[in-house]
Amino acid sequence: MAEVTVHGVSRFFGSHAALQDVSIDFPDGGFYGLLGPSGSGKTTLLRMIAGFDFPDAGAIAIGGEDVAALPVQRRRIGMVFQNYALFPNMSVFDNIAFGLSVRGVARKETRDRVEKAVDLVQLSGLGARRPHQLSGGQRQRVALARAIVTRPQVLLLDEPLSALDKSLRVGMQIELKRIQREVGITTIFVTHDQEEALTMSDRIGILRDGRLEQEGPPAEIYDNPASEFAATFLGDANIFRGTVDGNTIHLADGTCLHCREALPPGTRAACAVRPERIMIRSTAGPVEAAAMNSLPARITKRIFAGNSITYLLNWQGETLKAFAQNTGTTPFDEGAAVTLHWAVESTIPLS
Amino acid sequence: MTAAPPPGAQHSQLRPALPLLLPAYLWLTLAIFLPLSAMVFFSFMTDLPLADRSWAMTLGNYAAFFETDLYGRLLLRSLRLGLEVTLYCVLIGFPCAYVLAKVLKGRSREAIFLLVILPFWSNGLVRIFSWAIFLRGGGVIDSALNAVLPFEVSVDLMYSYPAVIIGLVHSYLPYMVLTCYLTLQAIDDSLIEAARSLGASRLTVLRRLIVPLAMPGLIAGAVLIFVPVVGSFMEPRILGGRSGTFYGTVIEDQFVAVFNWPLGAALSFILLAVVLAVLALAAPVLRRQT
Amino acid sequence: MRLFPRFLNGAGQLYVGLVLAFLYLPIFIMVLMSFNASPFYQLPIDWSAGWYTALAGNSQLIAATWNSVTIALTTTAIATLLGTAASLALYRYRFRGKKLLQALLFPPIAIPWLITGTAMLIFFFAVGIGRGLHAILLGHVALALPYVIVVVSARLQTFAPELEEAARSLGASQWQVTRRVTLPWIAPGVIAGALFAFAVSFDQFVVSYFLSTPGQTTLPVEIYAAIRKGFTPEINAVSTIIIVLSMTLMLLTARYFRFGGEK
Repeated sequence: MAEVTVHGVSRFFGSHAALQDVSIDFPDGGFYGLLGPSGSGKTTLLRMIAGFDFPDAGAIAIGGEDVAALPVQRRRIGMVFQNYALFPNMSVFDNIAFGLSVRGVARKETRDRVEKAVDLVQLSGLGARRPHQLSGGQRQRVALARAIVTRPQVLLLDEPLSALDKSLRVGMQIELKRIQREVGITTIFVTHDQEEALTMSDRIGILRDGRLEQEGPPAEIYDNPASEFAATFLGDANIFRGTVDGNTIHLADGTCLHCREALPPGTRAACAVRPERIMIRSTAGPVEAAAMNSLPARITKRIFAGNSITYLLNWQGETLKAFAQNTGTTPFDEGAAVTLHWAVESTIPLS
Repeated sequence: MTAAPPPGAQHSQLRPALPLLLPAYLWLTLAIFLPLSAMVFFSFMTDLPLADRSWAMTLGNYAAFFETDLYGRLLLRSLRLGLEVTLYCVLIGFPCAYVLAKVLKGRSREAIFLLVILPFWSNGLVRIFSWAIFLRGGGVIDSALNAVLPFEVSVDLMYSYPAVIIGLVHSYLPYMVLTCYLTLQAIDDSLIEAARSLGASRLTVLRRLIVPLAMPGLIAGAVLIFVPVVGSFMEPRILGGRSGTFYGTVIEDQFVAVFNWPLGAALSFILLAVVLAVLALAAPVLRRQT
Repeated sequence: MRLFPRFLNGAGQLYVGLVLAFLYLPIFIMVLMSFNASPFYQLPIDWSAGWYTALAGNSQLIAATWNSVTIALTTTAIATLLGTAASLALYRYRFRGKKLLQALLFPPIAIPWLITGTAMLIFFFAVGIGRGLHAILLGHVALALPYVIVVVSARLQTFAPELEEAARSLGASQWQVTRRVTLPWIAPGVIAGALFAFAVSFDQFVVSYFLSTPGQTTLPVEIYAAIRKGFTPEINAVSTIIIVLSMTLMLLTARYFRFGGEK
């Protein structure tokens, strides 16, 4: 096992910067999620760690060793591709054994190690099948077994679950996490699915336009997004813009919102509020305590989703979003005038 | 840490590609591209540049083409032959490809398609020769016709212009069926259904939908037929006899009978120019849908 | 739904039948005549295998046949090897001028063999390569190469580049990747390309015709000379053998490879 460090890496395609001065430490044995929209450079970064692409500036080290001069086949990585890239001309067994056989591992040891890997991904009895005879989830497991059977230093996953349908995906998320724990391998996982990144990663790095926007454990990023992009890309957020005065943001219509921390005074700034932190009260109801922010709004849309209800609200011509648990109380009607309340603690100032 | 220079050139990967590319392209250069260039050069010479002969640069070989109208007339005759053969191949081949692609289904379609393009894989010279046997007077056609007809007839198509046409159509028809079949088969049946549901008549569907969509196949087939037919010499020689003098046979003569290679080179180069013009004309249509 | 009413389907099938008759009738007649003892193709047929026995004694034809087979096999080996290598390079690497290299493959296919053949004759003569079997081989490989590259490249288009990347990520060297992952996938394309190369060479008349010398000819050149000298029924026999062999070969490969498609 080994940690991976990426230091000041940039990559240009012509004049377009796919990555710009990105530095990340991927901790040994950790599960790191690289999250970003398409074109953010996350796949480019993964391919550079793998050795399929090379940085124009900066350095990459695996286990403390600079890998600039190491070709792919000598980097001791395991990679799972988006479409799995199983060799169609080989059986499941031969696919998994491939990495061992090109290294000249003895036949008996190969058989033992492949068997162990097959057990680990729970595919026993399918060794003789061809890839095209497998379901999507099974292919995924073969790809994973093939990548870890060589005991690589790093496991690289390129959107490995995006080809699966939703129900299968959730199952595989848990499964993938279990296997990673069991093997204890440093894992770097590229995804554009924020939910997947949140549930699986120990640490998340959000990439945007080739730059590292924010980095940290999932809960920390979710609760303390540093920017509007981080707030809206990882989870939902209502954004309010205005002028800063100490802890307070003055909105255009004169409303004051209190933030949990101070911002540089006099500047224009924004704050974010997660939809699940917003409480909806009918305007006629009791006034809340002073530790709350409040706004008048009108319900424009009610979306029922079983365990919860999403309200879309109109405030000053802008659309806000609030989630409510389905607790059995009578839901608000569309068109109703309401007041929104949320704690100052839930008002996150953004730079 | 400092940035190490990346291994190999990043943007151009020519270096690893070269050892794989060079043998093939050197061979093509030696046996195709250099000869074609040499031919252009020779066409401006008075004689072969051999040790015992004197030679000079000249435009005479091209002048010869324009001075007598013989070569021009033969070129026109060859172009007409190319057009006629192409036309017959379209008329016979397109409906055949249509039936294969849209009427026949499953295994019978596969089998018949295979049968149509199979002759394609057998020796062209041998097939032309088989027509020579088939068409000669007092041969098979005569005997067959006289067996059914009450009066005596004698059909002798051998050594005539029609014989050349028949032989060439036979040789090149599979190309047309193949290229048309490939484009027709790619046309989604639901397009035809959609057009019919919008009230188009069968002929309108054929004229406005199927033929335009199959156009790249038709053009590709036409080019694949027209170009070699204009340069054909073996077929006219065997089937045309005395009426088998075409542009191609004149070029052949320059090289194997008259030994006027510079004139042959000039005539070849003029043919090449015509061929390239045809390809250039067809290129936009072919590029549109690939 | 069909475009034309059902009763026309029968007409369509009849039409295809007529086209097939047109394509096969002369060949069929030629095969029949090769078993006719009469050298003037007289009917009814006087069955005999005499022309085949005569053929066995015609050393000139047999030598030419041997030349044809040898040249076709050598051409197939060389063109398939060089062509597959070039296709891999064109598929795998990005570099300037690649489009041009790909475009350069079409002139050899599109230019009539009369022009290519005469150009080769002039050039080989001028640089001292001369004529003969070696010149014929040189020309045949060049004619077959573009076909191999086009066919193998078409098969490579269906090959996912991630498969090569996956193999490399598992520790395979470039050669191991090629041998164990890429070649097995493109094998049907390589075999189809090899068949093209064989057919181009074995059936090649025009280029061989210009590059042959009296002692060093191929079978088609020899047949052409015989036809021009006057009909000899021995040619029927040898033509029949060629046509039956090449069609059988194609039928067999079509059965197994569907012209380079899936197995």
